[in-house]
Amino acid sequence: MTLNLCVLTRNQIFWDSKVKEIILSTNSGQIGILPNHAPIATAVDIGILRICLNDQWLTMALMGGFARIGNNEITILVNDAEKGSDIDPQEAQQALEIAEANLRKAEGKRQTIEANLALRRARTRVEAINVIS
Amino acid sequence: MAMAALRREGRRLAPLISPRTITAVRSSPLYPTLEDEGPLGVRHISTQVVRNRMKSVKNIQKITKAMKMVAASKLRAIQTKTENSRGLWQPFTALLGDLPSADVKKNVVVTISSDKGLCGGINSTSVKISKGLHKLNSGPEKETKYVILGEKAKAQLVRDSKKDIELIITELQKNPLNYTQVSVLADEILKNVEYDALRIVFNKFQSVVSFVPTVSTVLSTEIVEREAESGGKLGDLDSYEVEGGETKGEILQNLAEFQFSCTMFNAVLENACSEQGARMSAMDSSSRNAGDMLDRLTLTYNRTRQASITTELIEIISGASALEG
Repeated sequence: MTLNLCVLTRNQIFWDSKVKEIILSTNSGQIGILPNHAPIATAVDIGILRICLNDQWLTMALMGGFARIGNNEITILVNDAEKGSDIDPQEAQQALEIAEANLRKAEGKRQTIEANLALRRARTRVEAINVIS
Repeated sequence: MAMAALRREGRRLAPLISPRTITAVRSSPLYPTLEDEGPLGVRHISTQVVRNRMKSVKNIQKITKAMKMVAASKLRAIQTKTENSRGLWQPFTALLGDLPSADVKKNVVVTISSDKGLCGGINSTSVKISKGLHKLNSGPEKETKYVILGEKAKAQLVRDSKKDIELIITELQKNPLNYTQVSVLADEILKNVEYDALRIVFNKFQSVVSFVPTVSTVLSTEIVEREAESGGKLGDLDSYEVEGGETKGEILQNLAEFQFSCTMFNAVLENACSEQGARMSAMDSSSRNAGDMLDRLTLTYNRTRQASITTELIEIISGASALEG
């Protein structure tokens, strides 16, 4: 029994295949989905998605969205997604540093919130490369 | 080219000129017969007039052909984007259902149309359907409001439904069509308009020659709850346990807003595709019509030319024969 995973971003279908297990970050923590999971609809936070296919774990950075799980079908709709293998470590590290600097400079509530989000996105990308399972 | 031919013919006829008919012939190379009264008193259109018409019809044909190619290239660019965006709203429909029959108090009809004209009948069909929805959903307790995107629908709806229009947004095509722009738009609409159900009216792009007017319905969270409790299509929603936030209501609210912006994104792209496709076919039939008109005008022109030459010949020959005998 496998799960059918479909990750959709705004412009394209990012991932569509059968997987054995996934680990998803939601607002209330990480959840693991195995086949025959009870149906849930949940919000996805800016974080990492880990997929197990053929006994190999892959990481993806997701930038927030929704997920629906039912009948062994998982549909994840996110604003943006990147495969861990596609992210350049140097560039991600630099983006992280820039985001941190922006957060320190931010003035006003709106800028702080935006800088925070940018920081979380950059951090997720860096983590996506570094995580080994 | 026709002028040179006339001049040549004038010179050829010169030896036959008799003093009496000099003035008539001298005028012909420069001014071909204008509004001549032939022997039977019949007026025929001068060649100059027909030639002017032919020139303008030829220009129109060139312009419409160019517009068709521009539309075709724009269509190709947008088509891939549209097909990719179709996958975005389908999960929402699978989860929350698309219920056009939901009976609600506050309907909002979002009509998507184009800013520029010359695109066939797609804007009129969208407006017709919006008006139909309005009539269907107006009653003692229910009301329908319009949100208009695009100049063409604005022109048509402002005339008779001015009081029902909430928001008008034009010049959509000036900004590049991507999700960020559309989400800003969706945000504006959600902030300013109270709604129980949003019905988006647009032309779905089936193929280059077929555009189907469609309505996508997005329901607000309260209505979704109500419908879910009453069973039917949304009955499955309750079986889903909703996680990831403080309350179920908050998640469903975010979900509804996300659904609206995804559906809007798809609708705007599809409408843009349909607009370019309709413009392509309209310009194509227009250039074909211009070609037919040009053929007919050429025949008329040749007939006119030959008639004027015949008339001149008759005058000269009758003048000459009058002199002899």
